[in-house]
Amino acid sequence: MTNVAAPSTGGFSSDQARTLIPPVGSTEHTTCCEYCPVACGYKVFTWPIGSDGGPEAADNALGRDFPVGPLAGGWISENMHTVVRVDGALRNCVVIPDPDATVVNVGGGHSVRGGALAKKLYRSDGPTSDRLTTPQLRVDGVLVPIPWDVALDLVADVSRHVIQQHGELAWGMKIYSYQFFENTYAASKLALGAIATPNWSPHHAPAEGDDVPGLSDAGIDAFGAAFADDRAADVILIAGTDPYETKTVRFTQWQSPGGAALVVVDPRRTFTAAYAEENGGIHLQINPGTDTCLFNAIVLYILEHGWEDHEFVRANTASRRELDAEGHWRRVKFGRTREELLEYLRSDRDFTLTGAARVTGVKSEKIREAARLLSGGTGAQPLTSVLFEKGVYWSHNYENTAAIANLGLVLGAVGREGRATARMGGHQRGGVKAASYPLAKSPHEVDGHPIEMDTERWLVEGRTRFRWVVGTNWLSAMAGSAALSRRVAELVGIGPTITSTDPKTVLAQMKARIDAGGMVLVHQEIYENESTRYADLVLPAATWGEEDFARANAERRIRLYQRFMDPPGDARPDWWIFAQVARRMGFDGFDWADSNAVFEESAPRSGGSRKDYRALVEKARREGVRAHDLLAEHGTTGLQAPLGLDGDRITETVRLHEDLRFKSDSGRANFVLPDWSAVRNRNRVLAPRPEKGEVWVLNGRVNALWNNLSDFSRRQLSNDRWPLNPIEINPLDARRWGIGAGDLVSVECDSVLDQVGERTSGGFTAVAYPTDAVPPGVTFTYFLFPGSPSNNVVPADTSLQPLSLRYPFKLGRGTIRRLGRASGIDTMSFVPRNLVPSGGTGHVPADV
Amino acid sequence: MAMTRREFVAAGAAVGAALGGGVVLPVGLAWERDRSGSVIAVVARFPDVVITDQGSLVEGEPVWFSYPSEGQANMLVKMGWPVDHGAGPDRDVVAFSTHCTHMGCPIQEFSPATGTLGPCPCHFTTFDLGKDGMPAFGQATQHLPRVLLRLDGDGVVAVGLRRPIYGHSDPLHGVAVRVLEST
Repeated sequence: MTNVAAPSTGGFSSDQARTLIPPVGSTEHTTCCEYCPVACGYKVFTWPIGSDGGPEAADNALGRDFPVGPLAGGWISENMHTVVRVDGALRNCVVIPDPDATVVNVGGGHSVRGGALAKKLYRSDGPTSDRLTTPQLRVDGVLVPIPWDVALDLVADVSRHVIQQHGELAWGMKIYSYQFFENTYAASKLALGAIATPNWSPHHAPAEGDDVPGLSDAGIDAFGAAFADDRAADVILIAGTDPYETKTVRFTQWQSPGGAALVVVDPRRTFTAAYAEENGGIHLQINPGTDTCLFNAIVLYILEHGWEDHEFVRANTASRRELDAEGHWRRVKFGRTREELLEYLRSDRDFTLTGAARVTGVKSEKIREAARLLSGGTGAQPLTSVLFEKGVYWSHNYENTAAIANLGLVLGAVGREGRATARMGGHQRGGVKAASYPLAKSPHEVDGHPIEMDTERWLVEGRTRFRWVVGTNWLSAMAGSAALSRRVAELVGIGPTITSTDPKTVLAQMKARIDAGGMVLVHQEIYENESTRYADLVLPAATWGEEDFARANAERRIRLYQRFMDPPGDARPDWWIFAQVARRMGFDGFDWADSNAVFEESAPRSGGSRKDYRALVEKARREGVRAHDLLAEHGTTGLQAPLGLDGDRITETVRLHEDLRFKSDSGRANFVLPDWSAVRNRNRVLAPRPEKGEVWVLNGRVNALWNNLSDFSRRQLSNDRWPLNPIEINPLDARRWGIGAGDLVSVECDSVLDQVGERTSGGFTAVAYPTDAVPPGVTFTYFLFPGSPSNNVVPADTSLQPLSLRYPFKLGRGTIRRLGRASGIDTMSFVPRNLVPSGGTGHVPADV
Repeated sequence: MAMTRREFVAAGAAVGAALGGGVVLPVGLAWERDRSGSVIAVVARFPDVVITDQGSLVEGEPVWFSYPSEGQANMLVKMGWPVDHGAGPDRDVVAFSTHCTHMGCPIQEFSPATGTLGPCPCHFTTFDLGKDGMPAFGQATQHLPRVLLRLDGDGVVAVGLRRPIYGHSDPLHGVAVRVLEST
């Protein structure tokens, strides 16, 4: 019996028993994972087809003997291999977790996402062959290829026309906030600097501005935590996120091996929640939308029992006089002293143990136990960290982030070993702005104070005449997405259709549409997605691995993501596209020779931030080398910002707030009013209506998938595991509704508030996944699955949260109804996703 | 294209064997030639090893065994319901490597009710044996290597392996590996 094991040139199945090894002399690059905020370090090897390395250490580029042992790192799975073009020639390519990594993924750990990075790379003979490779123009409804010069002239000419005729508020850009420094800097230099429009918003929100305003008003930097502090902590509160699923290596290599007791706050019994309860921690399975009440109750219990960090609170929190002197109106209005906070918390019976138990659905004993675990319960503080993510701030944004900031402060969880209060992050951190947001130009206000423009409301009102969407599936990613899509279809349909490929005629037709009240839409992307269907112009972007870029991870570690292959076709990096348009519009200062030039220019704008990389660029200047090259010398270790210079030596910062100075005018931390009555009122609008048979429709990420699946819908493993969007349903609900595993269900809501506060309808379909991970009355689905727009049932009216204009993405609602059996799901598994080893703990790598 | 000849490179040699064209093959591999004698494929030759007999299989009770060499751990189980690639009259007998494809840790936890292997003690991946060993949850990017089975009378015989085993560039390579004798 034989099994053919011919040398592979990169088949897409992993059916072969043999894998390829890079030979000695392979070209080596370093990069980091493209996906979650942990950003594990990776190495990339490319080599000529047919000259593979051997399994002896002397015969391969890794210098390792194969087979390698368990946990040794260095194994190359079939999913780590592909074939790419380098300077036009086909080469084997492997992308492997750096087995020599000394930070982040020490020893070569990785998640299911990063472990198949190779499969995201472009190849003309594989599932990534549909990358956008040429600019396109929609003519009579069909996208046709056009040259860059024509596309760039059209964008520039239309932009000039819109700004001249309708003002810069009619010119909008919707763009990733997190992507690489070079791209975010170039985009903001054009939009916020040269054009100076307030019609600018990030991929995840209708308005620029703060995602965690409660934390900011407390003066706490939202991204302070170092992974080493997770390891050092005795207790970690993890609220509104499942780090095992979505920030994997931080959990598997820093949190679980540290042995901290985990206090998990989540409406779902996730893997991490189940793990917590098996390992000395606790799961607080709250009713959706009740976080503020829960945190308030815990804070009150700690204060009433004298379990707070007295010394920290006394020395580091603001007095009434200091609060009154704060410059920002929101801090003046919502800032509280310890005593004022205590008085507020005592004023509402919902914050007693029994009151909170009734509201949150968490037993009072569990709330008490959480307070005891977090604070030590004796007045002697354990090392406690307070970590959270979108489940907290993408629901009741201001109040939840205020309440969790208060909890961090009473625990003294700031600026010291094992003690941090911070977001865990959704993306890596590659944002740097070339100019400040022009707040004074924003047409929107709250309480008489200017607030950033709600760009989706503005667009739906017909005031945006040109929108440039960059690197996001905008329409599916926004709340009330069904209403938004309908309105965009109208706006691009006003006036004449584009019927010509002659640039002059196209420009005239576009101008006519704009002047008739319509909108021209540009989509700059790597693949077509649901937002491309209304685009007049499609611009193909070069991305990860196709250009040198830099960015920081969740612990502020800045590294170079090297170019190691050719971009597909005529795709160009985003910074280049912005620069070309800017120059054609007549703006100066866009003459960069390469991405390094953008990076070096951007450095001063990082000054004073947690990502401050001025010292790197200054050192490179003194030494006469390129800043990218200097950063490349630091490989997958990178440099932990903010950076400084001590003589000629770059200094790093392991921990923020180490001096116990806070980001407030007084330098002290502020307690912040966690206004539960505002939340209660809002919940009356948001909560499922029992009379309609509605349930909560929560959404979020799933371990083996990432965002809009642009890479993952092109991976065999993802398609096998998740051929369609799943929706978790409690088995009792499933039985009640006559739904079984693998049934296709409709999720509908006939009362979704749209961008202008009108009631509309929306829905989507998904595959039923019965599981007791969700309680009765609560369902959970993936948030951005192609063809399953779950944000259709999420309200988009920002007047619900006027303080911060954030959508309550996590608080959708709807009715669930069986439609029939789903098809094409033979490979889909329905086994439990929260199985933890009985009593076991994670492996601790020997070298950490 | 019919195979006319198979050659096997003797196990135990520390270095590869040179072919006519200067190609060097790792030990443990063989080459196949067409009628004219040209090499058409490199093949790994797996031994045939009797794992157990069908009569002694009990639903949900795994049989643990080494294959294709000593120290390469696997499990065979009669799942109790028809599954993808299931052998036998009930299409429910499958066998997989038990080395986690994420980072190679040995998995010993099998849940008969769900037909899952795992969670792995190191990084908690769980595999669904009813879906060809697919990682159902966790960090592995590859299905478990599946042991190819042949039913020979009452005997359940391992005859090959599909997909790579963690850590190996080739499951039959390595001077430290002793390929089991065919039984």
